[in-house]
This record gives sequence, structure tokens and C-alpha cells, in this order.
Amino acid sequence: MISDGTIAGKRSRWRFFITPFGLLTGPGVLFIVVMLLLPLLAVVVFSFWRTESYELYADWNFDNYRVLFSESAYRTFLLRSVAGAAAASVICLLYAWPVAYFIARHGGRFRLLLVLLLAAPFFTGVILRIAALQGILGPGGLINMTLGVMGLPPVRALMYTQFAATIGHVYLFVPFMVTAIYLSLVNFDFALLETAKINGAGPWRAFVEVTWPLNWIGTAIGIALVFIPCLASAVTPRFLGGPNSPSFGMSLAQQFGETGTWALGSAMSVVLFFLSFLVISIMYCTIDLRRTGFTGMHSK
Amino acid sequence: MKREAVSLSLQSITKHFGSVKAVDGINLDIEQNEFFALLGPSGSGKTTLLRIIAGLERPSNGRVVVRGQDVSDLPPYRRHIGMVFQNFLLFPHKTVSENIVFPLRMQRIARPEREKRLTWAMALLRLDGLGRRYPNELSGGQQQRVALARGLISRPALLLLDEPLANLDRELRAEMEVEIRRYQKELNIPFVYVTHNQEEALTMSDRIAVMRNGQVEQVGPRVEVYTRPATAFVASFVGQSNRMEGVAAAINGSNMTMEWRGSSLLVPSHGDISPGNRIRFSIKYEDVEVSCRGTASATAGRNRLPGKLRDIIFKGQTANYLITLDNGAEIVASGAPREMNLRPGEEVFVHWAAKTGVSFKA
Repeated sequence: MISDGTIAGKRSRWRFFITPFGLLTGPGVLFIVVMLLLPLLAVVVFSFWRTESYELYADWNFDNYRVLFSESAYRTFLLRSVAGAAAASVICLLYAWPVAYFIARHGGRFRLLLVLLLAAPFFTGVILRIAALQGILGPGGLINMTLGVMGLPPVRALMYTQFAATIGHVYLFVPFMVTAIYLSLVNFDFALLETAKINGAGPWRAFVEVTWPLNWIGTAIGIALVFIPCLASAVTPRFLGGPNSPSFGMSLAQQFGETGTWALGSAMSVVLFFLSFLVISIMYCTIDLRRTGFTGMHSK
Repeated sequence: MKREAVSLSLQSITKHFGSVKAVDGINLDIEQNEFFALLGPSGSGKTTLLRIIAGLERPSNGRVVVRGQDVSDLPPYRRHIGMVFQNFLLFPHKTVSENIVFPLRMQRIARPEREKRLTWAMALLRLDGLGRRYPNELSGGQQQRVALARGLISRPALLLLDEPLANLDRELRAEMEVEIRRYQKELNIPFVYVTHNQEEALTMSDRIAVMRNGQVEQVGPRVEVYTRPATAFVASFVGQSNRMEGVAAAINGSNMTMEWRGSSLLVPSHGDISPGNRIRFSIKYEDVEVSCRGTASATAGRNRLPGKLRDIIFKGQTANYLITLDNGAEIVASGAPREMNLRPGEEVFVHWAAKTGVSFKA
């Protein structure tokens, strides 16, 4: 009896891969394993190796991490990136909420079109878009040239500063934030606002008590979609932020490029990965599934 | 009506949506301690009127006066009116207790007082022990009681109820009808109750306004609306009636003879009707009686028509007797089922007292 059971068990374990479920999930799982987990694993392994004149040597050590945590330059880069990503997230949040709210509430029959048009910035490539921003914000750019023609001094804050890089980040990532908040708002029952008002809540109070908490998941997803790419961002700060205040992402890119210090670059990637994971975890902890308003999301 | 007794006064309220007149010049006075029903079919403007009272909709014209104060220009959150909705609309992210005390928190009432009122409301609505649950963990009836508790906890000047029982099953509805009326009588707060269900309106309310096409067809105590409908529409909408269309013949004071399918019926008349008018006569199921052909029944002052019993619809306390008259028309009589041992297919008489029923000019 017992041996029968084990044989049947083994057979069914193999047969799993030719069930519809196995066939449907298999390719996706394989893709993730090959494209995400293997490279990630490689990066973790490399971060404990050593590079010398553009060659990787497999002698295990903690030197890369020691360098990262002891040299203040890397700490500065990291803090700069965290601050930049936080600033971009806050600006995107303030920008996206009214836009998403307006589309969801008053978009009418244009609602879908308006949301699809959020993809408009992606009609061209990312480098081209950043170059275009450079052409507007940079020293010879539209704004400062116009000011020059009018005999006014240029706005220095726009020329190769972190502020300019943040503007670039906001421009690049705000569509994700709007989309996330919009998708949350279209599933929000606006009649609940009427209920809040009848029960004595003014417009602001009703927002704080009802609209915001019931759309917090969507908002949190939006923040994650902006904060994490900004944290790792390399191209935007290089074009708009200038060479004097490199971001963590820029420095990381350099390790894999100019300097060829792959092992140190890998260690930086691992740090970035853990930091991103930490941010996601913190956001996850802010979400009480019972208080999201979604039915059936209770973790029982 | 004394002014101080009036709790809510609607003065020529009109509401246009584009070219549609949803509410058309409504005047109503509702008293303190009154359970008032707005009864009408869907699209009659009753919900729009309720939303205007709440401040969720601005009237195109007219004033809303609550306890002597004109609130027409106040937003809903300054009106101190409670409201209960058909789909409950509890805050899904707040617990039962948090939902119920919400109005008190908005009014910045101190916590000890809030706790006291919460205990009171939970006891009143039999919600004890459910305070920490979330709305989606409650049954429909419990959710509706939470919505009522939230509407009542701040002791509003007025409680508006928009078809609050429509989403509940039949048994629960019957129970809640009695309960809601009890709360109203205990708390002495006027309730304005919107429904399309005449049974609900009749069970619960003191007075009923029957609405149609944005206008009030009749306002009055429930028994009056039921027994003395003012218009043909009210007669057909409130209660279950047989309708007959005939022609007025001889008029004799408050009675007249109506020619209907070859029979002369003695029916009530009123001043507007003159001989030759087309008449719409309506008589409630329970006013019509059935008896076997054989039994000798008194015919003086009664209308009597021969027919054949087609079917009996048994409803428990009563039964509906469906009769095909010899003139081809269908008529329904309702009565206590045990009193009559009639069988389908039997030859019968239907009869009713000549003074019952109502007639209107068609």
C-alpha cells in the first residue's frame, strides 16, 4: 500500500510538467530563472571575487564591501541617489494624484484615451527624450538661451545639477505613477465620498479619511515604480546632472565600463538590490490588507 | 399644521436634468416624530428629492428648510442630516465601531462621549460584539444595521433612507421594517423613507406621499392613501386592485351606474363626473367576495357578477381567487382561504358592496 503511494507520487510529480498548469507556467518560470535569477546569482558571486586589469579572479574575499562601506565617496553617491529618488517620488506623487483623479472622475468618454496617451512620452527612445530635456534645461538650452537673449542671467539651478536630474526623473517616470493611481481610482466607489460628506466630513477630511486610505495600495505601487528605477538611474543623472555630482547608478555603470572593476560593481549592485528590497518591504508593512477595502484579501 | 411641529419643509422644489424635469414643484411639510414615506415607481423623482434634501443635489428652484433654518445653500456636511443607502456604503477600510462613530469624529466630539454613544447605538441596533469586524465580514442585515447606527448616532435633525431594505431577503426585510419603525418612534427623529415597495411604505410609515413624474400625486395618512386614492395612478399603485373601464350612465348623488361589458354596476361617483364620461373604476382584491352559485346571498346594495373560478393562488394568510367572468373579463378576489371550500372550475358569483371602490374620469 505504502510503496504504491510513493510510486504514484513520483510519477505525478513528473507528470506535473505536462499538465496544462505546468505548460502554462513553465516557460515563464524558466524565463525568470534564466534572465533574472542566474544573472543575480552571478552578481552576488562576482561581488566576492576580485578584478585585476579587466579580468575577474575567483579568489573569495570581502574587499569590495569593505571599500564600499569605508570610502565616503560611495556613501555620498548612495545618499545622493536616495535623496534624488525620494524627491522625484514626492514630486511625481503631488503631480500624479490630481491628474489621475481628474481623469478617473471627469474623463468621461475620453478616460481610456487619456490614460493610453500616458504612453506618449515612450513614442521616442529614452536617450532621445533625455537629450531633448538637455536641449531645454542645459546651458545652451531653450530656457537659458531665451533668458540670455533677453539680457537676463541664466538659471544656474537648471544647468547640470541634481535639480535638473530630478526634473528628468519626474518626466520619465510620472506616467507610471499616474497609471497606478488611476487604476486604483477607477475601482474606487466615489459614492463613499457622498456618504462621508453626509456624515459631516468636509472635502479635505473626506479625502484623508476615505479616498487616500482606499487608494493607498495603488499609490504605493506608483511610489515603488518611481523610487526604485530612480535609485538605480545612471543615464539621466549623467546627461542632466553633470559629471561633478555622480549618482550611485552612474558610479556603478562606470565599474562595468571605463574602470572595468566588475567585482566592485557587482558589490554595488548587491547593495542596490538590498536597498530596493528594503524599501519594498517597508512599503509592504504600511499596508494592512484588512484596511485596503479589497474584499477577499484577508491573510487568514 | 403648527410651524414649530414642522421639522422639514420643502418649498416648491424643482430639479431639471437638461430638459428633463426630475422633480417638479414639490411642497411638503414633515413633522417631528413622523415616519414619512416617498412612494413611487423608479424614475418618479423620489430619490432625486431625497438627494436634494441631503444636499447632494442642488435644486434648480425652491428651498429646503430644516427645523426652521433654510439649509438650501449649505453643503451636506453642514446640514446635520443622517442618511442610509440601499447599498449600505459602509467604509470598507474601517471596522464596525469606526464606521459608526465616524459622524461623531467629524463633529469633533470628545472620546468619552463617543464611546458612550457608540455603546448606546450598538445596543439599540443589536450589534454587540461586532465592533471589531470589518464590513465584508458581516451579513447583509448586519451591514444595514451598521449603516442605520451610523445614520442615527449623532442624533441628526432628520434621517433619510433610500430604499434601505431593497438588497435584503424577504424574511429579513419584514423584520427590519418593524425594527426601523421602532427606532423612529423611540428616537423621535423624523424619518423620510424612499421606496418603490408599497407594502414597505404601508407597513412602516405614518404618512405617504405617492410620487409620479416628479410630482406628488397624493399625500396623506397611510390608511387614507390606501382606502381613498386621490388619482387613478394611486389607486393602481397602492394595494392590489381590479380595474374596469366603463361609461357613466345615471348619476345619483354620490353613486352612479356604470355600464361595463353589458352589466350595470353601482359604483361611487364624485362631482367631476357627468353622464357619458368614460370611467376608470378600481376595486381592491380584498373588497371583492366570492360565493358558490347555489348559496343565496344578499343582493341588496351589492354588485353581483357570474363567473367561473379559474385558479386559487394560496398565500398563507390569504388566498387570491382568480375568476373568469361570464363576460370574459378576469377578476381577482382575495380572502381567508379556510372560509371557502371552493374548487377551481366551479361556477361562482363575485360580489361587492356598491359603496366600495373608487371611480375616476378616464
